[in-house]
Amino acid sequence: MIFGLVQILLFQSLGELVSKFLLPTLPGPVIGLVLLVLWLVLRKGINPDLAMVGDGFSQYLGLLFVPAAVGVVLFLPQLKANAWAIISALIGSVILTIASSALVARLLSRKESHE
Amino acid sequence: MSEKHSIVEIWVYLSGSPLFALFITLAAYQIGLSIYKASHQNPLANPVAIAILIVASTIQFIEMPYSTYFEGAQFIHFLLGSATVSLAIPIYRGLSSLKGRSIPLIASLCTGGLVSIISAVGIATMLGADSSITGAMYPKSVTAPIAMGIAERIGVSPTLTAIFAVSTGILGAILAPFVLNALGMKAWWQRGFAIGIGAHGIGTSRAFSIHPEAGTYASLAMGMNGVVSAVAIPVIYHLFNR
Repeated sequence: MIFGLVQILLFQSLGELVSKFLLPTLPGPVIGLVLLVLWLVLRKGINPDLAMVGDGFSQYLGLLFVPAAVGVVLFLPQLKANAWAIISALIGSVILTIASSALVARLLSRKESHE
Repeated sequence: MSEKHSIVEIWVYLSGSPLFALFITLAAYQIGLSIYKASHQNPLANPVAIAILIVASTIQFIEMPYSTYFEGAQFIHFLLGSATVSLAIPIYRGLSSLKGRSIPLIASLCTGGLVSIISAVGIATMLGADSSITGAMYPKSVTAPIAMGIAERIGVSPTLTAIFAVSTGILGAILAPFVLNALGMKAWWQRGFAIGIGAHGIGTSRAFSIHPEAGTYASLAMGMNGVVSAVAIPVIYHLFNR
């Protein structure tokens, strides 16, 4: 498990360094993610330590953004004032997003199979 | 008198250390998980939403300033970056499913990503939401840890973004089966991929509970959407806000 964490923290640090000096528009952890995917593709496999830490994180990912989301208490008046716009935008957008992605995937895979 | 005094002292000590914030955060999440399990994983009983509600009401009730709470809870918050890096593992596992289907999947990802931004920001703007709200809508279909990183870069509130992302995930997990059935979508990989784009992590766990192939494609979509959005959203945001 420790070896898995060491690898994650190493790639996170690499990502932060690249973000700071080369690609300031990208968050460091996202660069770290891309570097780790590239590393796994090169190595052609995930070692068990890394898999364990990775699965642990993805299982409880939701817990990690609770502290930031509790900051909602600071935005309550603003959210109440805009409640109707927010609810409509979130519901409308999620339906349109899922529908459009599904339709494009189906349309293009049909074309592929005809060729 | 002295007894009351000592209780206040203990309270001051506890609320000044990270212990209290860490305790209520983990305890609230555990309560959320138990309710979620008891409800047979109903997306309405989302453990994250329950935890946010419990912690937010608790600190309101005891009148603890958010900054004091966050000082303690920042140790949990810090792990978000590491969790983002570890998303490389499901993406790597999903990469082999990409082969032979890369064109429909990449096209679907780009369409879904753009529709998500344009529809959310468009509807919110039309209904009169201010720019701090619409700005936080840009990354709302992205998995929350990456969405918050994007929010920081484009200068909108990561908190609002996290709230919108969690709400989107819950709504997507509930509405996706209806939308996909109405469209007559049959292939599990297409259904899963669409859920992953629209409803990130919460949608993905719903997809896994319905069908393993849908789940694999949902987690691939979530990961790809995160990476592509981190590159594209700052550009799109500055294009619309000049």
